[in-house]
Amino acid sequence: MAEAEPTRRLIGEMFRRQRRGVALTAGFWSLHQVCEALVPVAIGLVIDQAVGTGSTWAMVWSVLGVFALFTALTMGWRTGLWFLSKAELEEAHLLRLQVVRRVVTGRGISTDRQTGELLSIATSDTQNAAELLEIGSRVVSASLGLVVSTVVLLRIDRSLGIGLVVGIPILVLALNALGPVVERHTSAQQESLGQAAGTASDLLTGLRPLRGFGGVDEAARRYRTASRTSLRANVGAIKAGSAFVSVSTFTTGLLIAVVSALSGWFALRGRITIGELITIVGLAAFLTDPVLNLAHCVFQLATSRASAARVAEVLAAPERAASGDAQAQAGAVVLDQVHTPGLDGLTLTVEPGELVGVVTTEIAAADAVTDLLAGARVPEQGTVTLAGTPLAEIDIADLRRAMLVEPHAVDLFGETLREALRTDDGQVDDAAMTGAMTAAAMTDLGQELDHALLDHGANLSGGQRQRVAVARALLADRPVTVFRDPTTAVDAVTEHAIADGLRRQRVGRSTVLVTTSAPLLDRCDRVVFVDGGRVAATGGHRTLLDLPAYADVVLR
Amino acid sequence: MTAAILPVATGRATAAAFWRKLRRYPLLGLASVLVSAAASGSAVMVPILLGRLVDLVADRGSTGDLLGIAAWTLAAGLSAAVLTGTARWLVAEWGVRACADLREEVLDHALRMDAARLEAAGSGDVASRVTDDVEQVTDATQLAADVFGAMVTVAITFAGFATLDWRIALAFLVVFPVYAVSLRRFLPQAEARYAAERRAVAVRTQSLLSTFHGARTVHAYGMEDRQGARVEQASRGAVVARLKAVRGFLWFANVMNYAEAIGLTAVLLAGFLLVRADASTVGEVTAAALLFHRLFGPLGMLLVTFNDVQSAGAALARLVGVADLEPPARRGGDRPTTRPATSVVATAVRHHYLDGPTVLHDVSVEIPAGQSLAVVGESGAGKTTLAAILGGVFPATGGEVLLGGRSVKDLAPDELRRVVGVVTQEVHVFAGTLADDLRLAVPDATDQDLHAALKLAGADEWVAALPDGLATRVGDGEHPLTASQAQQLALARIALVDPPVVILDEASAEAGSAGARQLDQASAALLADRTAIVVAHRLTQAQTCDRIAVMAHGRIVELGTPADLIAAGGAYATLWAAWSR
Repeated sequence: MAEAEPTRRLIGEMFRRQRRGVALTAGFWSLHQVCEALVPVAIGLVIDQAVGTGSTWAMVWSVLGVFALFTALTMGWRTGLWFLSKAELEEAHLLRLQVVRRVVTGRGISTDRQTGELLSIATSDTQNAAELLEIGSRVVSASLGLVVSTVVLLRIDRSLGIGLVVGIPILVLALNALGPVVERHTSAQQESLGQAAGTASDLLTGLRPLRGFGGVDEAARRYRTASRTSLRANVGAIKAGSAFVSVSTFTTGLLIAVVSALSGWFALRGRITIGELITIVGLAAFLTDPVLNLAHCVFQLATSRASAARVAEVLAAPERAASGDAQAQAGAVVLDQVHTPGLDGLTLTVEPGELVGVVTTEIAAADAVTDLLAGARVPEQGTVTLAGTPLAEIDIADLRRAMLVEPHAVDLFGETLREALRTDDGQVDDAAMTGAMTAAAMTDLGQELDHALLDHGANLSGGQRQRVAVARALLADRPVTVFRDPTTAVDAVTEHAIADGLRRQRVGRSTVLVTTSAPLLDRCDRVVFVDGGRVAATGGHRTLLDLPAYADVVLR
Repeated sequence: MTAAILPVATGRATAAAFWRKLRRYPLLGLASVLVSAAASGSAVMVPILLGRLVDLVADRGSTGDLLGIAAWTLAAGLSAAVLTGTARWLVAEWGVRACADLREEVLDHALRMDAARLEAAGSGDVASRVTDDVEQVTDATQLAADVFGAMVTVAITFAGFATLDWRIALAFLVVFPVYAVSLRRFLPQAEARYAAERRAVAVRTQSLLSTFHGARTVHAYGMEDRQGARVEQASRGAVVARLKAVRGFLWFANVMNYAEAIGLTAVLLAGFLLVRADASTVGEVTAAALLFHRLFGPLGMLLVTFNDVQSAGAALARLVGVADLEPPARRGGDRPTTRPATSVVATAVRHHYLDGPTVLHDVSVEIPAGQSLAVVGESGAGKTTLAAILGGVFPATGGEVLLGGRSVKDLAPDELRRVVGVVTQEVHVFAGTLADDLRLAVPDATDQDLHAALKLAGADEWVAALPDGLATRVGDGEHPLTASQAQQLALARIALVDPPVVILDEASAEAGSAGARQLDQASAALLADRTAIVVAHRLTQAQTCDRIAVMAHGRIVELGTPADLIAAGGAYATLWAAWSR
């Protein structure tokens, strides 16, 4: 099965990172396998030497031997499992963080995966991929178990041993050939399970609106459809898996029948003793374990590889826009002759320390200005620069420290108000926080910084969330801050308070307000009126009110 | 801790609920049990035949007899193979069918769950149940076949012992006390540990979901380190909880392995004594020892999967916890063809969220059929709560709401939604095509209906300009819609449902003021001829309503026509002055 390069690389990295854990697991599990292989040998010995002879001393030694063997056996298995669990959980954790990092770093990645699917990649796929480590350890230990059994058989009877040396690899290879069939079904199953989970989380995210328009029945029906599709894929995978189990069970059955018939014949002819016969028969029964174990690995490999491929896909997804390497300098923000859907040659300058309002007649133009400043969009023509350097050429981390474009849709993080307001690890005293909160008119939240926020602020009203976001942006105190309609969910009196607070808090810093809110515009040093994608007029809010087109947009 | 708000079923309730799901497929169940038994029976035949082989050699039997035994061994192996595969298929299908039924029921109940509970719990916990926990249980059903097969094998192997010397079988029974004692000690601890592990996983899911949802904000602040650290902490918590569970399991596994050693020793010792007393044959002892050895496989399987089974059990308990919430009310009658005039009357409505403070104090208001009421006031004054209660989104903790003279409590959910439509403050574009999104509201709406609704919401133009029109895929990761486009979709959905009462909660808030004017027009078109309650910060919108209620601290402090309120010079006059400034 040809694997894409990123998947292969990912798997290689996983094993490199966890090499110690995998080696220890393989070692201890090999010990366990050897002990398991020795159990039938021990049974044969006991029956031959003690039960057959009736010697009490031999029986005492047998009992002690059995316990010694089991002590080694259980210790090997347990210790192996412990190291494996640690390595697997650690690796899944690392992959999960890589996925998260990949999604949130810089400008993010281009992916058509829904949030729900990303979630399923970050949780179940990382875990499935990490199970490759188990497969690695199991293959090593099962192979060793096979080798030991074969050596024991070779010592008892050369021809039987040689038969196994040739026969078993053929069996395992034959089973391996079935792998791709199983893989196809498993992959389809994982995919559809992920989609069903995506549907569920999408519907739950929109549950409040859904209940408002009475879409619950239909939503439940849609999930049922997704769940049934997933079920069909699931049953398909089960059938393929069961066929595989049948075949692998049959091969081991064949192995036992042939080995026992041959060794029985040898024993009849006196070529081997009864004790040796019992050992061989027991070993043949034991052999099914490592063979089935290897077969199971083939099976598990399919699932894990499909998951690893999905993780690798996210990790290798192209960035939305690459980071530059220029330093961010303090200076003017300039949009020069920019053309993009919504804008038709807009030129706009924000000098350091200025509070500028941007009013557009069309939403598309407002979106374009916000996206361009956020670097989420590259203009078809023209440039967007900070202190003369195009935004795309500035080191992204540096740019984020110089310039903040607060998204209109509010997302809060953390379990307390204090956490939700903090955006970096720098020292912030309570006074600064209180200052930002006052400026954002957050008086009704009681200024309790350790006020608990449930589920990223779900217990706050829309207006409260908006004000927390404004306070957060003010506290971040970037040299340039862009707000997009920051007061749409607050009442008129509060809006005035926020407008005053903004003005006060941003003295000496550059601020852009993309809005049509009159109270906010009234506090701006300068308002740029964009009509038809280009600047129609610039001036104070009250002066511009004389323009009928402007008044029509901002008066309500 | 948000995870504690949604219930988790007890072990007994979980088992009972899952058994009810399994019982829905009696044929599949019966076939699973029978075929598993047959499969294990064939598998058990093999060591018994091998015991015969040893006896045959000891008795110096003929080559013909040897070939006979070999043929039987091969036949047993072949039938074991076919039956094992079939059993695995049947059991797994039985399990995944029950599982699919359960996950659908869980989502169904989650969608209909008591709103106050949902508001308090947040969607993260429910999401983690329908994703992580469902996955955990579904994966475990694949194991179920192996576990079930192993259990049947163990049972049949015990029966196999009966065909041998009963005294050896008796010796073997010494393992049971060891099993019983260790299980008694292990199970209660394990249950707590695995439940803790599932809780840690739920916290991790919440953390991941909020991060993926808020990726744009993380980008904007360049706070990937900080947010990464948050996720790392949550994910680390899940790792630690899991390792704790594994550590406990390893102790148990150790005891179980020694139980095997004790059992094997007892069998060999009994055999030794019996053979020495000439009461049994070496062949019988061999068969018994091999049979016992044969148990190691299935016992080991049970042991290895115990971890996953326990974890799946804990996940299942969380699923059943949601599925066992009070069953949703059943559907009402057919859709009425005409839209009856409907008034809205609230009498002494009081409300508080779970253990929270009272957010509404004895609010009484009456909106005659066809009239509109604007609700204004500071955020946090209780406007959204009042709107939700009037819209029957959740019941008030006190007082009464009548829609068209009928109590909201008496209306079945379906009936309720035909009477009143609510556009919530939150906007969500559902994943799928645009038509799918709209048809969530009215599944059997024709394309014409959809176009008409979009036109009413003022969305016809941009929808026509989309690459695939109504078939354009929207939602997460698909064609992006602006906030006001999403809001227009929300209005269009209500237009499709066409209820006599409409409640708009800040229907123009998220659009930004540039789009608000457009949305005002769309709302006005939607509200015409309907009884309307409009929660508004945009006073322009409030001014167009017949009456305005001003709310403060959970009470209506002013109520009257816009002109009267401005003239009265009270709270509304102050707001209006600020608005018009």
